[in-house]
Amino acid sequence: MKRSLHLMTLLLLAVLATLSSLHAGIPEQVATANNDLRSGHPLDALARYRTLLTDTAFLTKEGSPELWYNSGLAEEKTGDAAAASLSFRRALLLDPGFAPAQRQLAVVLGALGLPIPSDWCHGVYAIIHPERLMIIGAVFGWIGTLLFVVLLLNGPRKKGLILISLLLLIAGHGSAIFGALIDPRRTAVDQAVIISKTGPTLRATPSDNGAPAGTIPPGTVISVLSRNGAWWYVAAGPGQTGWISSDTVTSLLPTAPASASGKGS
Amino acid sequence: MSAMISSLFRFNRLIPVVLFLTATVPCVCADVTVSSELSQADIAVGEMAELRVKVSGAQGAEVPQELPVEGLQIRLTGQSTQVQMVNFKVSSSVLYSYAILPLRAGNFIIPSVPVAAGGRQFRTQSLSLQVHERPASAPPASAPSYIPAPQVMPRPGVAQQQVRIPSQSQQPAASGRLAFGEITCPKKTLYSGEVVPVEIRFYFDARYPVQVRGKVDFGSEGVLIERFQDPKESREEIEGMLYNVLTFKTLLSAIKPGSIDIPPAKLESQIQLPGAMPPGFDDPIFRQMMGGQSPFTQTKEVAVKTEPLHLEILPLPKEGRPANFAGAVGQFDIDSSVQNPRPAPGDPVTLSVKIGGKGNFKGMGAPVLTGTDGWRSYPPTDKFEGSDALSLSGVKAFDYTLIAQQPRQSSPGAEFSYFDPFAAKYVTISAKPLPVDASPGNPTNAAAPLSPSTAPVPGVSPVGAGDAKADAGAKEGEPFSVITLHAWKSPIHRAGFLTVTIAMIIITALLAGFLYWRDLEARGGTASSRRRRRLAALWVILNAEGSDAAAIYDAAVEYASLVASPSEKRDSVVASLTERRDLIKYGSGGSKPLAVPEREELMQTLKNLTNLGTLGNLSK
Repeated sequence: MKRSLHLMTLLLLAVLATLSSLHAGIPEQVATANNDLRSGHPLDALARYRTLLTDTAFLTKEGSPELWYNSGLAEEKTGDAAAASLSFRRALLLDPGFAPAQRQLAVVLGALGLPIPSDWCHGVYAIIHPERLMIIGAVFGWIGTLLFVVLLLNGPRKKGLILISLLLLIAGHGSAIFGALIDPRRTAVDQAVIISKTGPTLRATPSDNGAPAGTIPPGTVISVLSRNGAWWYVAAGPGQTGWISSDTVTSLLPTAPASASGKGS
Repeated sequence: MSAMISSLFRFNRLIPVVLFLTATVPCVCADVTVSSELSQADIAVGEMAELRVKVSGAQGAEVPQELPVEGLQIRLTGQSTQVQMVNFKVSSSVLYSYAILPLRAGNFIIPSVPVAAGGRQFRTQSLSLQVHERPASAPPASAPSYIPAPQVMPRPGVAQQQVRIPSQSQQPAASGRLAFGEITCPKKTLYSGEVVPVEIRFYFDARYPVQVRGKVDFGSEGVLIERFQDPKESREEIEGMLYNVLTFKTLLSAIKPGSIDIPPAKLESQIQLPGAMPPGFDDPIFRQMMGGQSPFTQTKEVAVKTEPLHLEILPLPKEGRPANFAGAVGQFDIDSSVQNPRPAPGDPVTLSVKIGGKGNFKGMGAPVLTGTDGWRSYPPTDKFEGSDALSLSGVKAFDYTLIAQQPRQSSPGAEFSYFDPFAAKYVTISAKPLPVDASPGNPTNAAAPLSPSTAPVPGVSPVGAGDAKADAGAKEGEPFSVITLHAWKSPIHRAGFLTVTIAMIIITALLAGFLYWRDLEARGGTASSRRRRRLAALWVILNAEGSDAAAIYDAAVEYASLVASPSEKRDSVVASLTERRDLIKYGSGGSKPLAVPEREELMQTLKNLTNLGTLGNLSK
């Protein structure tokens, strides 16, 4: 018994050591980048943030909204509003209720002449993270489900208790479904942001000679409908669809299929 | 030569060739005659005529490429050779075709054409051509034909027209006037930063289909050329010639002071010209068959160019330059408004300063606020709305977000300085403060040091889950030192969440199944299982040794009732068994064991009933 306890402790320590080694030195790097940004060297800060953000530890499974926010601040100070909007959007993708990122995004979108996104979802984000809503809802939903089953099939059937458990089941699972629906990450895989300095031209065919069908302003979020090599078929709004060169856009998710120029991260 | 001929004689099939060659050789030495003729002696301006020079008795000749005649363009467009054999007498001739394009009306004499053939010099006779003005409504060709016009396709969106071209028997005009370009710039001397409209017009002879290839090539170092607008298509008549005109407009802004020579604007195009008739097809009958058109065309690649543009760029004067001058060059006026003059305490006020007029809106900086004491202001957002197609004129609105730090009754004012290139001086315009009623919020908010880049923006809730993070991590607008990790994927896309959900579904199903089974067990199982168990118990009683007769018949009656579905046979068996049981039970010998033969008969009856197939064999 004692021996197996020792083994488990060693295993736990090994896992903790592996996890901590993944993020070793990151706080120091963040502090250095922040100092660069505060001392008026946004380009140096941006380079450090990008080094951190392209670390696989931050790309594959988890990301840091604060790092994307810091990167957006640096990009904003270098005058690259479109790139800053992408960084703030990524910060908000990770944490939709991240108020500083919401404000900065509104500032850069205003500078780009784009409308500021504000719908009823933002009110929910301000109260609770969709993921939290989903998980808490699922926990209560399953508790309600199990209670309902037990009360229905075991022992004397008390209608009041069965009704309460049924309400718990509906409210819990309903909240989980609601959280899943409003989670911006659910649809982010097919979204991208125009990051070129000048708005690209929507074309009717995937060619430089394709008939132009309007331009998309930098910083605009578009839906990628299909990808055909260096040309993406996108929707920039109701009835505004066409092909654009993938050089001009970057996927909202850093891990999504990147543009031809590799700006995915 | 003789060796070649002897080798050719080896092949019988070449004998006619040899005969042809031997017959034509004397022709070279025969008399050479030269003649000329016009396809039409009377044409209108805009139509074409053909001059044909025929050299007979020779297989080739030297003729000039162009004929110089004032008011006419005469250019060689092709040649053809004719070989005729009449009564085994072979003769050959060469036909040279010239296209004549009249540039004006009048009577013209086409001079004799010098021809060098067979080592001798010849001259054709001179000819007379009368060119008259074409009536305004008359078609430009004597044998007109319409062709669809995808010919001029400068850019999508440009209206296409049908282009009337002359009869294809006529030859094209001189290439120098097939297409040309011109550039218009209202000013040749500009100030650095000044924006002027530039118009580039490309003219194409309206009779020939044209396909525009690529974009307008125009630009140089030291100037900034805006993106060209979609071209306008129109038609113009110049010196009696009808042209399709593509007009491109853009804005040019000077960047670097000094003299600048901008190379000609260029547009690549393909012009489809009518080709010369090949030998054998150049006769009136064939033309009539083809409806007056030639099926033969030639494509000419033409780079249409304008003249170069010379500009003098002057530097902006240093004298009198206001401190708040931020690059605006043009003529502007200023206006301001407050969107919410009575905000709640602590709420922002939006001051909108509008700069309208004509000039370099893209290069101008924001107006400077004045009288900002008691206000905290943030860098403005701007929005431009052009009032013309080129966006040379319009209004640029700068929206400032202001938060009162003290009770204020008026907004800040605004000042804007620009350089007027027409007056050649700097001008400062100002907007007066506007009445507002604003007061600060609670003291904590008022004193909170906000970064200029974190202006509170209407429409975004200032309260959020991230506020706690902002407090814990850093001041707003400053980078965060403490970082947290969040998943890129929504839980519904994560294997862990899906696994737990599936596990919960299975656990719930198992729990429900278990509870239901337990409840069933508590109630003795299902009716079927209960009957099955009862039948098995009865069968044991029926087979038990030493049971008394009444007990056996009790069991038999119940067994017969349960073992088969209700039917006539079962009911009769049950009735007979009941009768026998009652007889035994209420008669004598009820407590005695049943006699063996009767017992066997009873068991056989029950087995037969069982074998009705309703409930299966219960003996198992």
